[in-house]
Amino acid sequence: MTDVDRLFRAYNAALVRYLTRRLGDRDWAEEVAQETFVRALRQTSIQNERAWLFAVATNLVRDEARKDMRRRKHLALLAEEERDEMVEPEETTLERAQEAAMARKAIDALAERDRLALLMREEGLDYSEIAEALQLSPGSVGTTLSRARRRLVESYEALQKSQEEREKNAAS
Amino acid sequence: MQHPDEGTIHSWLDGALSADEAARIETHVKECPQCAVAVAEARGFIAASSRILTALDNAPRGVIPAAAPKKRIDPMVWRVAATVLVVAAGTFVVVRDRGGSEIPMSVAADRGILLEKRASLPELAPSAIGPAQSVADAAAPKAAASKTPAIGTARKTMVGDSSSGVASRDNNAITSAGVMMRAGKSAAAPGYAGGAAPNAPTPLAPSGVTGGVAMDATNESEPLKLVGTRQRAGVKVTLYEIAPGDTVTLTEAKPISLTGAVVTSAGVVPMAAQAAGKSVVLQSKARADTAAITTGTDSQRTNRFLSAPAVSAPAPISQEGRANTLRVVSWTDPGTGNTLTLTGRMSEARLQEIKIRIERERAAAAAKKSP
Repeated sequence: MTDVDRLFRAYNAALVRYLTRRLGDRDWAEEVAQETFVRALRQTSIQNERAWLFAVATNLVRDEARKDMRRRKHLALLAEEERDEMVEPEETTLERAQEAAMARKAIDALAERDRLALLMREEGLDYSEIAEALQLSPGSVGTTLSRARRRLVESYEALQKSQEEREKNAAS
Repeated sequence: MQHPDEGTIHSWLDGALSADEAARIETHVKECPQCAVAVAEARGFIAASSRILTALDNAPRGVIPAAAPKKRIDPMVWRVAATVLVVAAGTFVVVRDRGGSEIPMSVAADRGILLEKRASLPELAPSAIGPAQSVADAAAPKAAASKTPAIGTARKTMVGDSSSGVASRDNNAITSAGVMMRAGKSAAAPGYAGGAAPNAPTPLAPSGVTGGVAMDATNESEPLKLVGTRQRAGVKVTLYEIAPGDTVTLTEAKPISLTGAVVTSAGVVPMAAQAAGKSVVLQSKARADTAAITTGTDSQRTNRFLSAPAVSAPAPISQEGRANTLRVVSWTDPGTGNTLTLTGRMSEARLQEIKIRIERERAAAAAKKSP
């Protein structure tokens, strides 16, 4: 097994999940993950593999031109989903779609660094890896994560509350 | 000990503190209710944020354009495209059985117009006619072609095929296509006294009923019923309904475009398996996009018609299927100098009779215009 095979098997799932959560698109996430492993191939040595992979993936996502293009597609897709929801109001599907939409809104409301740190932590990166990937001081990771978690939960709950109120109003 | 800040509590819970630090926090939290609350809250945030992030895992695919297109093209688009394609190339014929069953037929020669006649929707009920007719339609022209290869025109039939819209193409094939028209009959149809039998929604009778019923019952004093007209390149094509389902085509060509537009007998062969009702060949240099001439809620019915189930099994060509000779009467309009060509599947005498009626109506219309 080549080294990149090992890297892929060890980290692809976590990397794709991280990127999916980050980007909101599984295909795009897989594409970026693959590109990340291709870049890993070109490296003679990587000190902290996981931190390196997540850092490179994060940087790839930051490619602005690319991001802009994708964003437009993403918006188009969101619009399409909205239309789909309107014609297919199946309850569980709608519920899940609402949850996902609120989660997306809540995560998007975070500052970029907070968001990335949180997503990386969710994939099991330790504080030093997060610090390395995001070029933070190791001591600030705890503060970053605590802020990210609090804000995420609070904004999600606020969205949930307003959603419930809308439903209540619609019902009455 | 000083109360640990939120970041430190998270670091502790994440296992990111050194053993010494962790032990100190642990001791403090046990003794400090305020920090115990903060720790409980932090645990809640950690668990809740994990849960929230899980909701992001069902991300859609296909946002990336390089991936396969997510949406299939609406089948209706294909239907419309097929219709346009066929209409662009073809001329059609309506075959109609006046005896009880209705058979839309299509034969093409050159270019065409899509026509749909009749306004009585119930007759189009799929159970009654749709698929069965499709079978007949698919098979009849093909068989006719093989019997009379001298026809010299290509035919492409179009049946109610939801996927392709084109069911068969014979070998003589040229480039044309036909779209079938329905010219049904109904007891309620105006000006038709002979068809009072309640046979409108009857499915096809395979044995066929010979058509060619004389038009005695038709009220000749009534004005000819105009089904549709279209005009292109100096040629005006008018379809008249003589009686319900019985139509003739009047082609009016200005002298300048005479050679390209005048319709001549296309030698239409027997097509209908069952009915040998009167039919009309309608030819024009029609363009596809504007080719639909229909009456009533035309587009809907046309679509429905075109989307009838595809039937590939050929229908037996019945010997009762009688040839309807297409007759043509041409004359020059004294008023305009245009060449008028009347085409229909009926006797010459009958065609002459209609010609006279048309002339009379044209004269009346001209008089009205310029009193």
